Amino acid sequence: MSKTGSCSKRLSDRSRLFHNLQELRHSASLANKVFVQRDYSEGTTCKFQTKFPTELETRIERSLFEDTVKTLNNYYAEAEKIGGQSYLEGCLACATAYLIFLCMETRYEKVLKKIAKYIQEQNEKIYAPRGLLITDPIERGMRVIEISIYEDRGSSGSSSSSSSVSGSTTR
Amino acid sequence: MPNSTGKRFKPTKYIPVSTAATLLVGSTTLFFVFTCPWLTKVISPAVPLYNGLVFLFVLANFSMATFMDPGVYPRADEDEDKDDDFRAPLYKNVDIKGIQVRMKWCATCHFYRPPRCSHCSVCDNCVEDFDHHCPWVNNCIGRRNYRYFFLFLLSLSVHMIDVFTFSLIFVHHHRERLTALHTTVTLVVMCIAGLFFIPVMGLTGFHMVLVARGRTTNEQVTGKFRGGVNPFTRGCCGNVEYVLCSPLAPRYMLHPRKKPHIKIQPPFIRPDLSDRQITIKVSDNGTHSTIVSSKSKSSLVGLDDKEIQPPLPPKADRYNLKNQLTSSEESSLSGKTHPSTPAMYKYRPSFSTMPKVHYHNSREKIVRGDECKTSAILEEGVRGHDYRSEPNLDLPEYTNAPLHKTFQSSPLQLDADPVNSRSLSLKQAQRRSEKGHLPALQPQTVTSTPYKSVFSPNTLSNRNGSLSYDSLLNPSISPAAANECMAHRGMPSLGFHSPYLPTKMCHMREPEIQRQQVTTTYSPVMPVRAVGRQSPHQRDRDPSPVRYDNLSQTIMASIQERKEIEEREKRQMYHGRSQPHIYAQDSGVFDGPGGYGLPPSGCYPDGTRSRGPTPPAYSGSRDNLMGVGLVNYGQRTTVMRHGGSTMSRALRTSSTSLHTDHSSSNSSQGRATEGYRSPTHQPHSPVVPRSPSYSHHKLSYMNAMTETPLDWELQGTSPNIWTA
Repeated sequence: MSKTGSCSKRLSDRSRLFHNLQELRHSASLANKVFVQRDYSEGTTCKFQTKFPTELETRIERSLFEDTVKTLNNYYAEAEKIGGQSYLEGCLACATAYLIFLCMETRYEKVLKKIAKYIQEQNEKIYAPRGLLITDPIERGMRVIEISIYEDRGSSGSSSSSSSVSGSTTR
Repeated sequence: MPNSTGKRFKPTKYIPVSTAATLLVGSTTLFFVFTCPWLTKVISPAVPLYNGLVFLFVLANFSMATFMDPGVYPRADEDEDKDDDFRAPLYKNVDIKGIQVRMKWCATCHFYRPPRCSHCSVCDNCVEDFDHHCPWVNNCIGRRNYRYFFLFLLSLSVHMIDVFTFSLIFVHHHRERLTALHTTVTLVVMCIAGLFFIPVMGLTGFHMVLVARGRTTNEQVTGKFRGGVNPFTRGCCGNVEYVLCSPLAPRYMLHPRKKPHIKIQPPFIRPDLSDRQITIKVSDNGTHSTIVSSKSKSSLVGLDDKEIQPPLPPKADRYNLKNQLTSSEESSLSGKTHPSTPAMYKYRPSFSTMPKVHYHNSREKIVRGDECKTSAILEEGVRGHDYRSEPNLDLPEYTNAPLHKTFQSSPLQLDADPVNSRSLSLKQAQRRSEKGHLPALQPQTVTSTPYKSVFSPNTLSNRNGSLSYDSLLNPSISPAAANECMAHRGMPSLGFHSPYLPTKMCHMREPEIQRQQVTTTYSPVMPVRAVGRQSPHQRDRDPSPVRYDNLSQTIMASIQERKEIEEREKRQMYHGRSQPHIYAQDSGVFDGPGGYGLPPSGCYPDGTRSRGPTPPAYSGSRDNLMGVGLVNYGQRTTVMRHGGSTMSRALRTSSTSLHTDHSSSNSSQGRATEGYRSPTHQPHSPVVPRSPSYSHHKLSYMNAMTETPLDWELQGTSPNIWTA
């Protein structure tokens, strides 16, 4: 009796473990969002605050976050720089009655593409493994950098699976 | 015409733009058809060419101003304003180049409008660098299209001047036949140009001034910078350059791009704790203290690999932090609670042999004193208080978790044990060469854990060689102590740890220490244990002897004397259990040393007798030192006594519970006194709350430090003076 009961229990545990493992496969769920605001101390040039949000203290190293924001700030500064290339672009646009905009992308757009690529890379390498996701500021009107914080929804599943495993083993 | 659903189609808003477009294109077309052929013949073919180019420029800019996104902000998501919606203020101030600029909350767009942004009621959008809503182009003029609008105005002005001028020439030449078709048409074109000349030129001139000043129409009309400073100006040339030559700003209202899907799959990497402080809550018998320590997870792990981790004694469960941290880190966590430990370890590399000696002794002692663990723990809880007050002291110096662990091992036991363990762990961590000691240490650490935990808060603060109380009271001293400890490599380590033995040991030179170790290993332990046994509540744990690191040779000598006193006290402890109670009553009294036992020298009786009142008792300990013959010390003690008495008096009134004592007195009193107090205090008073004693010590110590040795000689011989 006890043996059959234990066998059935073992089976149920295994199935439970299987279900828990399946649960583990589910991705994390969005828990919170952190918004890194713009730094207007130098005027309306695009610059984001490098202040480390407290919500991220347990999720990511401060240095990584600051590096990301500083790199983004540098990108934006480069995009908005008034210099030779912007002069040339303006003259060319005037000369062609702005038809050039139909064919060529502006310097700012080029930098925005670089930024998007950079953010994508950062997300893949650094933030996603930590359960975070950076949203390109351009989607928010360059007002904020939105960082989504994900929580491990599958953690409970893992613990229960482990417990079920232990339960089966102990029996 | 207006639709009932969705956006209402308002034809009226298209009237101005239609009119403007019609007039512009129509007039120019008529000019080209009727006037230009004659001009080409008479003047030059360059005339229509020139006019054509200008007209083309006008059209291009007009089109850009009309159809280009001015810099509309997309609506904010609900997530973004969840904090800002109801409780948020209407305005937010931001500092731009030193000037306060107000950002207003936009209820429609759900964000605080960035500087220079405004909400257009016609377009129902917030526009970046909002200038105005131009009905003639039926569009907002903002950051992106202001340049085109300005150029449109400029070019339109030029075009109008051109058209008017050439039409005038034509009419002048055909004034005899004004009724002719060509002339009539030219006259009509002239009239239109003349009619709109004033408004257009006026607007152009207005915007030229705005551009030069770096303002928007909105700011000018609302008078934002009237009489004030415009934070957005870059100077006249800079502003012109910004308007005409800046890169085209990006569009925000883009169609959603397809972003590559990024998989976020747990488990997530948690950040390395090396450069972060983690707050560990240590709960000891209901007293909660927050210990902040920085710990390098990797280093801890590394340490674990390097040294055999002694299994944490069950008493370690006292620490809530252990529960919080992973099991692998637990041992290191115990060390973590004593951030001071690692720093102290730095000072101890020379104590390679000593720890062994102490280790054995302390271990034995520890075993015996196991029953005191609880009390030690209680004390530690108190100390945790102290530790909490200086959370960050040890962070930069924290090197290895194992150091902490070993440090923890015998908080109560005595400096010897923690010292030994610490030094051992230090060596381990630093050199990885003395693994042999590790095994020896391990049991010690294990057994002494209860004590460790008790002292850990203290020890932690003693990171720099100062007792937790000391550091609490006077963090500045800690670094100094630390530095001094660094200087005296052989000595300081001991002094840091236990209030009992180490104080004596810490300032002794290595050979002396070794000598002393043999003799004192037991003594410090004994009194310590006795103390622990008796009434942890009653007495505060003596401040770590860390302070001794700062003491000079003379003081070290006095510490030696104290060791002897401790031995005596130990004897007395066994005999006179009531003494600690007496001490307890003298909460503010620093007379611990006196209470414990009479100093060997003749001065001791004074100390003993004066136990009741704080100052005398305290001075009694000092007297002991004096009796030993340490001139400098005596001098200091005198000073300290006075300071200490003052302190103790103040403290006594204020402190009833250990916890409050620690936190309040430590913070209020000088740390110096506390630090100084510890050496004298340790062997003596379990009763006196540590904090008062520490402060007392520190103060007096500090005062003492300023004294010159010569002065001591004058006073050193008469201990009675102190008791007075």
